[in-house]
Amino acid sequence: MILVGRLDDIPLGEAVRIDGDVPVAVFNVDGRLFAIDDTCTHQDASLADGWLEGCMVECPLHASCFDLRTGMPSGPPARTPVRTHEVVVDDGLVYVRVTAAVGAGV
Amino acid sequence: MSAPTELSPSLISTLPGHSYTDPVIFAEEQEKIFEARWFAAARSAEIDGTGAFRTVDVGRENVVLVRGRDGQLRAFLNVCRHRGARVCMEQSGVAKRNLQCGYHAWTYGLDGKLVAAPNLTKMPDIDRTEFGLVPVHLREWLGYAWVCVADEPPSFEETVIGAVAERLGGADVIDGWDIDNLVVGRRIRYEVTANWKLIIENFMECYHCATIHPELTEVLPEFADGYAAQYFVGHGAAFAEEAKGFTVDGSEGLTAIPGVDESHDRKYYAITVNPQVFINLVPDHVIFHRMYPVAADRTVVECDWLYLPEVVEGGKDLDRSVELFHRVNQQDFDACERCQLAATSKAYAEGGVLVPSEHHIGAFHTWVTEQLAQ
Repeated sequence: MILVGRLDDIPLGEAVRIDGDVPVAVFNVDGRLFAIDDTCTHQDASLADGWLEGCMVECPLHASCFDLRTGMPSGPPARTPVRTHEVVVDDGLVYVRVTAAVGAGV
Repeated sequence: MSAPTELSPSLISTLPGHSYTDPVIFAEEQEKIFEARWFAAARSAEIDGTGAFRTVDVGRENVVLVRGRDGQLRAFLNVCRHRGARVCMEQSGVAKRNLQCGYHAWTYGLDGKLVAAPNLTKMPDIDRTEFGLVPVHLREWLGYAWVCVADEPPSFEETVIGAVAERLGGADVIDGWDIDNLVVGRRIRYEVTANWKLIIENFMECYHCATIHPELTEVLPEFADGYAAQYFVGHGAAFAEEAKGFTVDGSEGLTAIPGVDESHDRKYYAITVNPQVFINLVPDHVIFHRMYPVAADRTVVECDWLYLPEVVEGGKDLDRSVELFHRVNQQDFDACERCQLAATSKAYAEGGVLVPSEHHIGAFHTWVTEQLAQ
């Protein structure tokens, strides 16, 4: 598991980006945490910098939307889903268990 | 043919003819005047709601004014920090999320900060504020967004508020018209084939009024004597006794602005704020002109007629009210175009002359000359 940081450091409606071999973004949607690959599958852009609306994040570059629950893009220009990852909260700390497969559930 | 070298005491000379035609002088004026002073760019209320924006040419720069999520209006040079493409191409619109350059998708927040760019996370050394849009100084006054693209703007209080105060004889006199809260009832855009200085000079004097403004001199009889309101301090031109209002046929005007006191009632005031704003005040409305110099021989003038909100929202007939100064504008701009036609003549190479009722225009010429000498 990767340590993301303190729960308090991910405000409502915001996201944090964890750098690594494959960067991951963790979103706080009304107190529910979701983790997906941070990089848009269309062009290299950080989805953590995107626009969060409900369980969808809109890529800041070309407005492809990804469902945080499934990783599926809603439409072009992105065609490939991002991976989703399990989020674990333990004693006020947030961890991500990075999954191997694309499209795996939380 | 040559201009007289020794002028009679009644006369002072104007700027030489090439000052109105030379593209090199025009470029210098853009740099040292329009890019150095405060410039009324847009009516603030028309940039309404998050992401609403307008783009305006200020000198040789293009500025984008955009309203942020916090409700604040901000201004930036409309230039992408990556390869210099213009970011917002439209004259007005609403940005959905951010301001994005259409070339490589460098994306800026409504506060100007660099939000995203392709491969940006692989360049962690890029400071997102340093590489944000370049901010432009902005002040809101009289319901307009005034910008200054200079690094260090001149004092707004001295150069803008001070110009109004000097003409009206007090800094708070204009507050009576409550211009912030008036509403644009009509806007007319004039494309004038004349140098911007001709338009200012014309606006400053009334020696021409009896000749070209029959409707205006009917309502303001003293204008037939040739002394403009701008000749005096704190002087309003009185309406003709038979004029019920400031309208094309002297008929009743619209609802008077409540803050205009008795001493300013039934009078007309005119103010120039160098280099590009003219304001006319009458009891029931305000006429606010903004000039946009385009070339040595081309100027766009955007003129707003501002009324009380209830007048505009109530759908009152503004035609006779607007028509008076619309005609004055057309008459004035026709005259300016006549002057532009002759500005290249050898008869005007040394310029013309100002008669005593125009001598205060000499102060404008001195001001222009001083700005260019800096």
